[in-house]
Amino acid sequence: MENYLEKLPSFVDEIKSIKETIITNIVLIGQIPSPTFKEKRRAQFFMERLAECQIDECTTDGYRNPIGIIRGTSGAKPPIFVVTHLDTFFTQDTDHNYVVKEDSIIGPGITDNSVGLGVLISLPEIFQKLNLRFESDIVLAGVIQSIGKGNLRGIRHLLKTWSTPIRGAVCIEGVELGRINYYSDGMIRSEVECNISTVNGCEPKFKPNAILVLNEVINRILRLRLPQRPRSRVIFGKIKGGFSHGVIAYEAKLGFEIQSDSDKMVKEIYNDIKDIIAGVSHKYEVELKLKTISSLYASKLRYNHPLVKSAGEVMKELDLKPVSEPCESELSIFLFRKIPAVTLGITRGENYHQQDNRMEIEPMFKGIAQIIGVIMAIDSGVCDEQ
Amino acid sequence: MNSEWLKKYTFHYSEFMDLNLLVEKKRDRKIKISLCLPTLNEEKTIAKEIIIIKSELITRYPLLDEIVVIDSGSTDNTKKIVRAYDIEFYDADDILPNLEKFKGKGENLWKSLYITKGDIIVYLDADIKNIHHRFVYALVGPLLLYDNVKYCKAFYDRPIAIGKGRMRPTGGGRVTELVIRPLFSLFFPELTQIIQPLSGEYAGCRELLESIPFPIGYGVETSMILDIYKEWGLDAIAQVDLEKRVHRNQDTKALGKMSFAILKTFLNRIEKLGILDIKKDTFNEMIQYYLVKDEYHPDLYKIDDLERPPIIEIPEYRKKFNIK
Repeated sequence: MENYLEKLPSFVDEIKSIKETIITNIVLIGQIPSPTFKEKRRAQFFMERLAECQIDECTTDGYRNPIGIIRGTSGAKPPIFVVTHLDTFFTQDTDHNYVVKEDSIIGPGITDNSVGLGVLISLPEIFQKLNLRFESDIVLAGVIQSIGKGNLRGIRHLLKTWSTPIRGAVCIEGVELGRINYYSDGMIRSEVECNISTVNGCEPKFKPNAILVLNEVINRILRLRLPQRPRSRVIFGKIKGGFSHGVIAYEAKLGFEIQSDSDKMVKEIYNDIKDIIAGVSHKYEVELKLKTISSLYASKLRYNHPLVKSAGEVMKELDLKPVSEPCESELSIFLFRKIPAVTLGITRGENYHQQDNRMEIEPMFKGIAQIIGVIMAIDSGVCDEQ
Repeated sequence: MNSEWLKKYTFHYSEFMDLNLLVEKKRDRKIKISLCLPTLNEEKTIAKEIIIIKSELITRYPLLDEIVVIDSGSTDNTKKIVRAYDIEFYDADDILPNLEKFKGKGENLWKSLYITKGDIIVYLDADIKNIHHRFVYALVGPLLLYDNVKYCKAFYDRPIAIGKGRMRPTGGGRVTELVIRPLFSLFFPELTQIIQPLSGEYAGCRELLESIPFPIGYGVETSMILDIYKEWGLDAIAQVDLEKRVHRNQDTKALGKMSFAILKTFLNRIEKLGILDIKKDTFNEMIQYYLVKDEYHPDLYKIDDLERPPIIEIPEYRKKFNIK
């Protein structure tokens, strides 16, 4: 372990020496639009790029997650997974042409998750450059249908159908460099939709307003007393509705997420919200539909799990300050299946989820060295015998 | 009009996707290939062009031997960015310094012949927003795979960026359709088979490019096609569909200036060829009007008929390339 820790700072410069290859991969894959459920072209490019690197195996699983496998030297050790998601929040018709500057790359979805994908498909060439071989097979997976309504279907399917044990996993996210996620909150993601029925002919002047009805729902949820322990919260993340400034809104939709480190608490809050919605629906005589989009169980590694400790040491060696928060992503599914895993960020950025999303180039090389360090830690056995 | 050429010499970029084959052909023929990017304030697009092409066509597949940037005096960060990615950057004025200095795209392309070492030279505009390495390999492909092809021109859909994050699917190529195509139809109907004669992306063999004159400005693409057509015939030319090229939108007035330069070049060429006798000297100023408050003010844009001779006639060039 100590051996490779010492090598990590020198890896940074070695990785930087092939920066054109890495940046090209980030740009070429990121410029392919890939909204959730429409990741086919990106998946195809993912496969082509890995095939060009002549890695040992390049395939898709039954759910069309693209996968590349670099065979390990041992033949007996379980594989190590390196995964990131292929889908983005941006629609097909968004201009995905990126701008590359001297120190940064700008464009929609660059930090979530073009940089993660670009780095993932660059790993075979980076391993070659660093002359690295691993005992375990390295499975590079770009998973589809991850975000929003995708509900992590890609990773769920991949792990459900993977027939052999998995030694450990690294999940890659574009930002922020320094993050180390090793626990996931329980979560229910829902939408509540308000529809005011319209009748033919004249409409009553004082019919209920869908926006105000949802406002009432929000106010009542805000009045809920959420415990600090278990740590719990409700996030209102999306709202839309209405038609025109002077017309009473006859439809509106609210998207929210309940998060807690206790699955029981998530369920309790969900039931409270369900009651609130039923109450408001009754009071205003409107139709309110509550729909669950996705849910996750809380899961975690111990703070002193050897993988978490090793990842911390890797980051320390690279002068990175670890920041830990819960993360509801591919990580949740690994941890739920008792596979040791962490999520790491690659670089720094700004304007997340906006058209002019920006990532910094220079910190990325440390971010990649950090990922390689953690893969080496898993390969040295830190996840074994747990 | 015989339109056989269109069928025979029109390709799609996907026909040249086997990059290993192209590299092998290049090795067999023992030739070098250079890419030249003429620039003027291209800080928004130049880095991406350099990185993608260097990574894919120098590092991954050694199809290109060099990339050179020839600049017309950018005042933005173009130079800094190019140098940051270890690419040769030349100020056009520093090449062949003993000659009188001019500014213009044609001037840069002409001078590139002096500083590049390739037997094939590829020219790409530096403002391509959706750059992909197909822009290079697809232009080189016909020159490597077909012995008679000496010059290859790109064509594509031209969606234009019309604002923050928004694209319009068509709208490019207006000067082609309003100026060049009518002129070709009038004087050289065979050349109308070239779908986008004004595209800024093309590749040519040195033996051909060094033997033709280069107008210093916008007219360079027009004159190149006319000269190659007259000297080597249409069968020396091929065209490749690159599918889509996204570029900055230019306003009508800018396109007017471009059209003026192209018309001038065209008229000069056909006069030289004895096709048309213009009895009167034409003027060198494009005059456009702007409304300022309630008055129209003229805006004069001067375009001289400057043209560089075939570079093979320049002693410095002959010396450098050992031409007796």
